[in-house]
Amino acid sequence: MAIPERPRHDVAELEDLAYELRRKLLLLCGTYEGAVHIGGDLSAADIFTALYHYGLRVDPTDITNPERDRFVLSKGHAAVCMYITMSMRGFFSYEGIVDTYGQLDSAYGMHPCKVQLPGVECSTGSLGHGLPLAVGMAMSARGRGEDHRVFCLLGDGETGEGSVWEAAQIARSNELGNLVAVVDRNRQLMTSFAEERVVFEPYPDKWAAFGWNVVQVDGHDMASLVQAIDGLPAPDSRRPTVIIAETIKGKGVDFMERNLAWHAGSLGKDDLERALAALDAGREKELV
Amino acid sequence: MPVTFTFGEMLSARSVIGSTLAELGAQYPNLWVLTPDIGATLVEFRDTYPERFLDVGLAEQACVGVAAGLAYDGNIPVVSGMLPFLSMRALEQIRSDVCYPNLPVKIIGTHGGLVGNGGSTHYAVEDLSLMCSLTNMTVTSIGDPVMVGEILRQSMEMTGPIYIRLAVGKKDMVLYEPGQHDIKIGKGIVARDGTDVTLFTHGTTVAQALEAAQELKADGVSVRVVDMFTLKPIDADLIRRCAEETGGRFVVLEDHLAYGGLASRIADVVADSGISLTSFERLGIPQVYAGFGEDEQLRNKHGYGLSHTVAALRRAVAK
Repeated sequence: MAIPERPRHDVAELEDLAYELRRKLLLLCGTYEGAVHIGGDLSAADIFTALYHYGLRVDPTDITNPERDRFVLSKGHAAVCMYITMSMRGFFSYEGIVDTYGQLDSAYGMHPCKVQLPGVECSTGSLGHGLPLAVGMAMSARGRGEDHRVFCLLGDGETGEGSVWEAAQIARSNELGNLVAVVDRNRQLMTSFAEERVVFEPYPDKWAAFGWNVVQVDGHDMASLVQAIDGLPAPDSRRPTVIIAETIKGKGVDFMERNLAWHAGSLGKDDLERALAALDAGREKELV
Repeated sequence: MPVTFTFGEMLSARSVIGSTLAELGAQYPNLWVLTPDIGATLVEFRDTYPERFLDVGLAEQACVGVAAGLAYDGNIPVVSGMLPFLSMRALEQIRSDVCYPNLPVKIIGTHGGLVGNGGSTHYAVEDLSLMCSLTNMTVTSIGDPVMVGEILRQSMEMTGPIYIRLAVGKKDMVLYEPGQHDIKIGKGIVARDGTDVTLFTHGTTVAQALEAAQELKADGVSVRVVDMFTLKPIDADLIRRCAEETGGRFVVLEDHLAYGGLASRIADVVADSGISLTSFERLGIPQVYAGFGEDEQLRNKHGYGLSHTVAALRRAVAK
């Protein structure tokens, strides 16, 4: 059965959705006592929004539809950002996430688990594992002559893992034009800034050298993200695409931005108010 | 082409894998075969089903990850390669990408044990210990080359992963007459019946175990040889029965570290079930990097060759 077509959001609506996503993330981070990977959630919030509310052909009422686009979260520690995005798209209930996140027997854990939560495509969390999984799904689509795409969201830090480049080589060798990697290029690892301990640059050249079609965008500019999605080559084309999205870890909350202390953390009541105020201040500036 | 064989003949397990996969490829349109550059015996499958064959080159980690991605999408992937690399370099992918979501990925490979004269980089000697630790994994080690085909066929209906270990697989003795044994994953095979002592083994040392049993027959010692080709789940009922029927005397012989493989699996059953034994001795690889040499030379050097097996059985029946 075909995936139902739905009216596509315009950029302003997507920006509203991204704001709502960040707000919901902060509220969860303020009520849950354990640590939330809030820095990498906020850097990826616009990407998640652009994918689930614009780019991905998915149907929340039919999660096994063979024609759906597949989404692999390779940076599994951004699971809660994916859960909330998916709840806003109709897959799950936001209250269900907030009420049980990280608790005993919850389906919503720190890293996605397919067995506990069938709505997600796969179990991930160990970095560097997602792109090989996505390659397998893209190969499967090719083998069956299906024309959906497979998207895979990676953090730039995890592309230090050799298995990412093994998969990049396999994808090129097998001409997987139906595969789209999106790199959340927030330029921070857990304990250092990119280039400080690990040299990533010339980063786009690395992907290009592996034979990928490279697209560079501002990962917080919704219009650019939409444009990148619109410009994707056809799924039956022969080169995989990587969208390198330049982002800021902690984006939207000034005291978290580019701050190593906010890779993961928990917000108390005061910090939550401060974070929400910062988010609103930034939002107002954007709207002006 | 189907492989024909006769009891006692030498046969290549690899050719059986090749022909069985080609046969199963017709039956299962969702069967995929993947390999990290170990594809010589997969030519028939590759040529018949090129759209379902993937040689990823030297990339074991991604090979297993890609297999998991295929399995998520409803396919049945078989990963064929060399076990020292698949079981160790791709261990985390096998554990977190395959076993955690319980996907029907089959890992089949060669170089289990001190075989092939490649040196310690090329011997899988810890693999069964590693694989038996993984939740959801079924673990097998096959000596009879014809059985490899049977195990592959049976594994097609499994919903979870399986690990299938072979020796070099170029020239192996056909151990069983067709139809002689009821071969079933999870059930040990009484390869030779006996009443004085049970010799448990798997894989490449089954032939040596049968030879040792034959040698002791001349002295009037009746040795039961059990081919415990499934290490997980272990056939605990058979272990209990053997304890009762062979005087509580166990010898375990394996081409794997003496601690962590079949001997440890059996010792666990013995301890957990409160089985009382008269004697228990394990023959296997000690904690050494074994060096170079032919298979038989290495088994002799490291204390689990034919003469060691015979001696251990004699010690057992003397108790």
